[in-house]
Amino acid sequence: MIEFRGLSKRFGDRPPVLEDIDLQIPTGSVQFVIGPSGAGKSVLMKHVVGLVRADSGRVLVDGEDVTDYGEKALFKVREKVGFVFQQATLLDGLDVLDNVALAIAKRFHVKRKVARERAMTELERMHLQPFAHRFPADLGAGVKKRAAIARAIALDPRYLVYDEPTTGLDPIAARRVDRLIGELKGRGVTQIVVSHDLASILGVADRIAMLHKARVHIEGTPDALRASADPVIRQFLSGSPVGPM
Amino acid sequence: MNAVIRRIARESRDFTALVIQAYVLLFRLRMRRAVVVRQAFELGNRSVVFIATTMSFIGLIMVLQSGYQAGRLIGDYSLLGPGYIQLLVREFAPTIGAMMLATRIGAGIAAELGSMTVTEQIDALRLCGAEPVEELVVPRLAACLVMVPALIILAGLFAEIAGMFAARLVFNVPFATFFELRLLTSGDVIVGAVKAMLFGAVIPLVSAFAGLSATRGSEGVGQATTRAVIHTSISIIFLDFAVNVLLYPVYAR
Repeated sequence: MIEFRGLSKRFGDRPPVLEDIDLQIPTGSVQFVIGPSGAGKSVLMKHVVGLVRADSGRVLVDGEDVTDYGEKALFKVREKVGFVFQQATLLDGLDVLDNVALAIAKRFHVKRKVARERAMTELERMHLQPFAHRFPADLGAGVKKRAAIARAIALDPRYLVYDEPTTGLDPIAARRVDRLIGELKGRGVTQIVVSHDLASILGVADRIAMLHKARVHIEGTPDALRASADPVIRQFLSGSPVGPM
Repeated sequence: MNAVIRRIARESRDFTALVIQAYVLLFRLRMRRAVVVRQAFELGNRSVVFIATTMSFIGLIMVLQSGYQAGRLIGDYSLLGPGYIQLLVREFAPTIGAMMLATRIGAGIAAELGSMTVTEQIDALRLCGAEPVEELVVPRLAACLVMVPALIILAGLFAEIAGMFAARLVFNVPFATFFELRLLTSGDVIVGAVKAMLFGAVIPLVSAFAGLSATRGSEGVGQATTRAVIHTSISIIFLDFAVNVLLYPVYAR
């Protein structure tokens, strides 16, 4: 289980990005985190792997308080938690295959040749083998995003955090990602998905938390969200430009 | 004022940590040979034309200026070449060559790592279980430790050849007279070599630190690149001064 207890974060003198966030993500579940742009969703997720440090509050992974872990201690946490960044973040100097292979070689301490074989298997799973030897600069955003997902999955994490995994993907690739989330759930991987994609949100999520004005505005099942009369939720689901957001 | 002092103290601490970590990994040979070779090519071979061009012109200018002074004051050009070689080996080739390389290599390293930092590639690397210093800094350090001294030797060679032609064409000094090593001592060579090796370590480390500290998008990458060139140049000048003072007994006669 991943748990946020009273988490708060602000950058400099600006208003807080997160304020007193309480959220539990049960093992094996698919938790979506939604909200308007700038609501602090990505910042919240980065707390799990120590890329952002909380001003106050705690972050627990498997009951272990990782809030104040240094880089060395975080290594163990990062073995458990995979992370797919919003902007894909493939290494520019490596082709797609080597981007995945480097991660495998580092995580599992295997020789580069073995890592490349495993990497190719992961790329095939994501229908990316035609792009294996292309460099990130030559690829579209969607392919890069899928390669980043392949890299994260290749590390066999128990938890997987996706930051807008379907943004920039065509509808077919987006639904493939949804299907992949379902497959990984079947394998017991706990997944947290930051998303604006309503088809994903309502089709794949076990539970949904909405961040609004630096706080968890509502947390519940997709059905509860659909049935909610809350004006913020209604506006988010309808995409109306007029409303409280 | 306190904030500035705190920032300088924090940056000094972080830079020291980077230097220690990089050298520990380097001595443990924690690097992939293919990556080091690629870096050596990128940083070294691709700098040859630049360093040859700039140092040739610097050589021309220095010999022209020295020759005018020598002609005006003593009317004798016989010491022009020997004095020039001595200064070139001990001072100008390593120092000016390294300053030139700081603009070419240092800016390149800072821009590349800075761009990787602001686009979260460094964070992604860390999350894969890789250590950014091992993957990115150590290969560049290893490449520069070999290539910067080599480029500095080349820089001296081009400055010498250009100077020799300037002396021959403008002051009618024969090549054999100009290329005389009678003033050059082993102390001069040692001092020049020490400087070349030190600068080979300083350029990648200072530049990598600037790149890894980049923040705030493309503006931050630009600032990191500028910072890398400025800090590397200041470090080179400071180290040049320190070596000149500390090794004074080696080259002074």
